[in-house]
Amino acid sequence: MSRLIVRLALALAAFCLPLEAVAARAVDLTLPPFVSAYQPRTAAERGIWMQADEDERQLRDSRLLIDDAALNAYVRHVLCRTVGEERCHAVRLYVLRVPAVNATTGPSGAISVWSGLLLRLRDEAELGAVLGHEFAHFEQRHTLALEHRRLGATDLTAWAALVAGGAAPLVRLIMTASTFSFSRAQESEADSLGLRFVAAAGYDPRRVAEVWARQMDEADARAAGHKQRSRRYDGVHLLSTHPTDLQRMTALRAAAATLSSGGAIEAAAYAAALRPWRAAFLADQIKLNDFGGTDYLLGQLAQDGWSEDLLFARGELYRQRGNPRDLVAAADFYRQALALDQRHAESHRGLGMALLRGGEAEAGRAELRRYLELAPAAGDAAMVRALVS
Amino acid sequence: MHDEPPPRRCALLLAAATTPALALAGNSLVDAGRPVAVAHDTLTVTPDREWNKLGWRPGLRCDRWTLDGEALNAVTFCGAIESGRPMFREVSKHDQPLPHFSTTMLLTDVPDLVEKSYRIALGVSLMTIDSAEPAQLDGERAIRFRYTFTRQDEEVERHGEAVATIRCKKLYWISYEAPAIYYYARDLESWRRLAATARFR
Repeated sequence: MSRLIVRLALALAAFCLPLEAVAARAVDLTLPPFVSAYQPRTAAERGIWMQADEDERQLRDSRLLIDDAALNAYVRHVLCRTVGEERCHAVRLYVLRVPAVNATTGPSGAISVWSGLLLRLRDEAELGAVLGHEFAHFEQRHTLALEHRRLGATDLTAWAALVAGGAAPLVRLIMTASTFSFSRAQESEADSLGLRFVAAAGYDPRRVAEVWARQMDEADARAAGHKQRSRRYDGVHLLSTHPTDLQRMTALRAAAATLSSGGAIEAAAYAAALRPWRAAFLADQIKLNDFGGTDYLLGQLAQDGWSEDLLFARGELYRQRGNPRDLVAAADFYRQALALDQRHAESHRGLGMALLRGGEAEAGRAELRRYLELAPAAGDAAMVRALVS
Repeated sequence: MHDEPPPRRCALLLAAATTPALALAGNSLVDAGRPVAVAHDTLTVTPDREWNKLGWRPGLRCDRWTLDGEALNAVTFCGAIESGRPMFREVSKHDQPLPHFSTTMLLTDVPDLVEKSYRIALGVSLMTIDSAEPAQLDGERAIRFRYTFTRQDEEVERHGEAVATIRCKKLYWISYEAPAIYYYARDLESWRRLAATARFR
């Protein structure tokens, strides 16, 4: 009997999945009318607003905040170009130094963009897609709608516990599945509106789906590095807040195919804006103990050629894993980086350490001496001097 | 006006409220003036003041002490970590496995190992190794390094100082960490005196 109830519940819950979210539909480029400065109307909304204000205060004072005026101005410029001047001034942007792929939106208009995401995007069109998606959450007031849905589900579950007796767990399961399904539908709606923003702004809409394609490839590389199976084709979980990456990529590709091809990409402008920060973001990524995913990412970033910062990062990645074959490869990457810039002190350090660890003591010490010549005041200079003396 | 419960009832209530917490925590007082085995009995230290030993350990071969509470000042002792083992307990072995110590590591690789472990085990988003210099741990060649880190979930900037050595192909690591504001500077000398008494068993 209990097995039957579970099967019935799962069947009903599956019925709640937003299957329409992955269907390809022609995209209407007309943007919805925008209403700024929404004020909360109910006690629940006022509570959500109060919490959002407190969250934003913490975000504004966060130690993780990147307060580089140029980078912030650039991200805002892309947002304004994507959603338009009237809309973009309704939100606040916060760029955070967190090496994970994420962006968030608060109900009152605080959008955060994480450094791990900026590192992975290739051009302005892709950044516009992410910002357009986040702005769509704000414009459609998704947080409020989801909270109302949650409150309704909680009420119904409470009443069911009171009057429905043994069927109450079934009602709870259906309500929970329904709430998460609603969240996934919101994500699909934000994807759809984000794509419309990108297309209306004159960016190439075909770039949008590529963000998800690379995400899946990186996840596969990470899984392979950890000797795990790929989850690319896993179905959506009952308690997932987002559709799967594959669903999102498929839906976005299909929707973009209905739009005229072409449009601005602005890869050079994006690279220029990220250049002052890329080495720092790469250093954060190297420290995540994700060899497979990071090696894939470096390869993607090097599609137009291996620059000195990418070669150095790859050297660090291999040296820190530290198998004998890795040390040989790392030394090669550091040498390639030094061929591009002989005065890159950190590459001399990495090469010296890789050679020392690989048993080539004299050559290693020579590289470390060169490192000390170029960076005599480095934080680890005393320790490196002890190694070479 | 409220009726006050009799003192005996208060005592019983207090005992009922605190006993489960004490049983779970298992914290204990460390007396000053006599050697104490730490780091899975691989090291001894002789404190010159009282410390508190926490019941929760960050790794199987680690111990953690504090003066005023783990969030305000914490000393960690980890000993005899073998090749192929992480420094701390895995937090998510499937999705985010911790890096492993390797016998082929140089002393200068230890700060990187610590940083990678912290970023995963503690959810640290910002971390810098500020300095590294040669040191001694009970006569063994060691590295002393200072670092700064901020956990994403609490956003308190903390400073740390650690001494690490590789002895008989095993890693030994002792560290002191405290918030950058006030506590780090206040208790730094207490930690250094404690670290200077560390002896291998």
